[in-house]
Amino acid sequence: MHYDTIIIGAGLAGLSAALRRAALGERVLVLAKGYGASGWTAGCVDVWAAGDAPLSALATLVRSRPQHPYALVGLEALQRGLEWVRTLAAAAGYPLVGGWERGLRLPTALGALRSTCLVPLTMVAGESRQLADGPLLIAGLRELRDFFPPLIAENLRAQGYAATGCYLQMPPGERQRECTPLHVAQCFEQAHVRANIGQQLRTHVRQGGYRRIGLPGVLGLHQAPAVVAELQALSGALIFEIPTLPTSVPGLRLFHVFEQAALAAGVRMQVGGWVVRAEAEGQQLVAVYSRAAAREQRHSARRWVLATGGMLGGGLRSDAHGHIIETALGLPVAKPYSRAEWFDPLLFAPGGHPIFQAGIAVDPQLRPLDAEGRVVYENVAVVGGALAHYDELREGCREGVALATGYGEEQKNR
Amino acid sequence: MLDHCIKCNICTNACPVAAVSDRFPGPKYVGPQAQRFRRVGQPVPDAAVDYCSGCRICNLVCPTGVPIAELNARARAQMVAERGLPLRNWLIAHTDLIGRLSAGPQAPLVNALLGWAGTRWLAEQCLGIHRHAPLPRATRYPFRARKQPRLGRGKQVVYFHGCATRAYEPHVGAAALAVLARQGYEVLVPPQNCCGLPLLSNGDFAAARRAHMANVRHLWPYVQAGVPIVGTSTSCTLTLKEEAPELLDLHSHEVQAVAAATYDIFEFLRHLAERGELCDAVRPLEQELPYHMPCQYRAHRIGQPVVDVLSMIPGLRLKLSPAASCCGIAGTYGLKREKYALAQAVGRPLFSFITQTGSSLALCDSETCRWQISHATGVATKHPIELLAEAYEL
Ligand code: SF4
Ligand code: SF4
Repeated sequence: MHYDTIIIGAGLAGLSAALRRAALGERVLVLAKGYGASGWTAGCVDVWAAGDAPLSALATLVRSRPQHPYALVGLEALQRGLEWVRTLAAAAGYPLVGGWERGLRLPTALGALRSTCLVPLTMVAGESRQLADGPLLIAGLRELRDFFPPLIAENLRAQGYAATGCYLQMPPGERQRECTPLHVAQCFEQAHVRANIGQQLRTHVRQGGYRRIGLPGVLGLHQAPAVVAELQALSGALIFEIPTLPTSVPGLRLFHVFEQAALAAGVRMQVGGWVVRAEAEGQQLVAVYSRAAAREQRHSARRWVLATGGMLGGGLRSDAHGHIIETALGLPVAKPYSRAEWFDPLLFAPGGHPIFQAGIAVDPQLRPLDAEGRVVYENVAVVGGALAHYDELREGCREGVALATGYGEEQKNR
Repeated sequence: MLDHCIKCNICTNACPVAAVSDRFPGPKYVGPQAQRFRRVGQPVPDAAVDYCSGCRICNLVCPTGVPIAELNARARAQMVAERGLPLRNWLIAHTDLIGRLSAGPQAPLVNALLGWAGTRWLAEQCLGIHRHAPLPRATRYPFRARKQPRLGRGKQVVYFHGCATRAYEPHVGAAALAVLARQGYEVLVPPQNCCGLPLLSNGDFAAARRAHMANVRHLWPYVQAGVPIVGTSTSCTLTLKEEAPELLDLHSHEVQAVAAATYDIFEFLRHLAERGELCDAVRPLEQELPYHMPCQYRAHRIGQPVVDVLSMIPGLRLKLSPAASCCGIAGTYGLKREKYALAQAVGRPLFSFITQTGSSLALCDSETCRWQISHATGVATKHPIELLAEAYEL
């Protein structure tokens, strides 16, 4: 089957590109090795982790680092991407709030404060500027591993917030074994669970006079804003979610928003379609091959978007000899010269570790470049985590770059 | 492969069994995690792996490509090797034998017997086959090809019908033969036996190896002559392509060649369409139908050939079942007394999707899934090839 555009990768960057192109009437296929890395993230939109004013920091960045993805696509592309994702999420009944003018800081599952720009409605009551307005309760469930209210509360207290930790009881009849955040989220979709937990919270509020309650980010999968509203009404306090360790339900929710929109827009999704090689004619990519039972499957298209992510997402892989390969198309990887230069001796080096800036170097149209700066394929755009010259975790710009390049890719490649 | 697991639990969240049961801790735990404690000659660390239905959804969604379902299948086989195969599992794994015993002139008697609540109660008590489990009705006239062309020069394909078409659904085979003939192919139906999947999924690897090698012997002359093998049962074709060679470590030239020559029928038709060779003289079918792509079909990792091919029928609109949904039956899994209720719970989201469409007919490629869907929803089911045959007015 022939497509106008084939996107390789089903993270936010790939699905943004897919949605944009489908909206223009193109026949689009998304080929993905598995579900994207969205379930590993907090489910917020991180744009730039620099204090209170990301926008002005970004204005400096695009001048000082012309190879940074933001500089390549321009801040207007980022702004359009952010506006678009807000519209998309709101239409799906899962509003994102915030903006890039003023950064937000919210507690993590360790009780540290993390910078971000857009957060789901279910988290906003945990914004650090409001957290100091009274006693604060952090409540968890023992069935949920890796979420320790006493630890979170203690770390918040160390930062000056009057926080207390406690455990709630899972209502009888529900899962009694330890289970994953998603399984707990599915429990919260049941009215009797919400009523029971709401009652327990109400008792705590009566006793401790809490104004706000932080709960793990498991408050429902499909109806999260309604679950939070109901728990607020029942408990008499403001409720906010704290993202858990993977699998992160808020990350899955954001993924579902994109996935549902893509399917509704007629995008074909092939999960488990693991692209392993490319077929080219000169500077045109004509086909890719994905692994399948007994033989590879060939896919052909006019245009291509590579959105396979970096080291973490599996788009790049390194071996023991210091080689780094791009796994889908075999593109040249821009990386530190030798393995000795991958890491800074300091774990928390202010400039980060050079290896985390490895990736595919691109021109302003996001077309992949080789070591000499020549375009490898004219009909391929690289978006998101596979790009070189930025460090998505340290710079706190993972979703921002995904949206700016994923949603902005089409403007550059008509 | 184990080391690729980053413990993200994406697989656990997608696993349809872990979603409904506390008895199954999920793919990450019974797969890459427990695997580290499995050593030949040591006791099995966690028998919960038996609750894996083998749907392979975990494999598809894992972002790092861990073959979890294979780990589980091997672990179950190790358990069977240590503890032996229970009689019930032996019986339901031998679909070939059961089919041969029940299809034919004796079919009405067999059906009447199995339709009687007393027999089913007895079967549950003595054998552990759940009294409500969906069992197919045997046919009086087992599928067989009428005239057999010789292996020769023209456009030819081999049709692999599988046990279910032979003993229970000869009409599916008839539709497949007619559709292939419409494309100008002579269809050969050489002797063949069970693909061995029920044996694999019940952990009887020795019997599965015999079944697969017998099929390879039957099919090899055709493959050698360049004739493709086409099947309507997505699980049989998956087994010939990949499951049997991989799980049984069979890698001879013949095994590989048979695997590489095997196609699901819609995959084959899609290839024809891509080359412009698919007959497009179809009549319009003004219908909106729910279509469930079986897990075993998704495990071929070839996209959605049925959707691609049927898109040429004017007026036909397919409503796709939710991504990663499973009917729960998983071949013989949902027949078992201790797993029946679980399998029904697994299928619930799919069943409500199908009933909500309000359609009186649903499409699905896999026979046991069709029986499960009809059993749980009361909605009639067809193989998509039957619909295509209708569109060709065959
Ligand atoms: S999805 Fe893959 S990487 Fe994640 S826990 Fe499961 S097996 Fe491990
Ligand atoms: S094969 Fe299916 S039932 Fe088994 S662990 Fe994987 S997802 Fe769960």
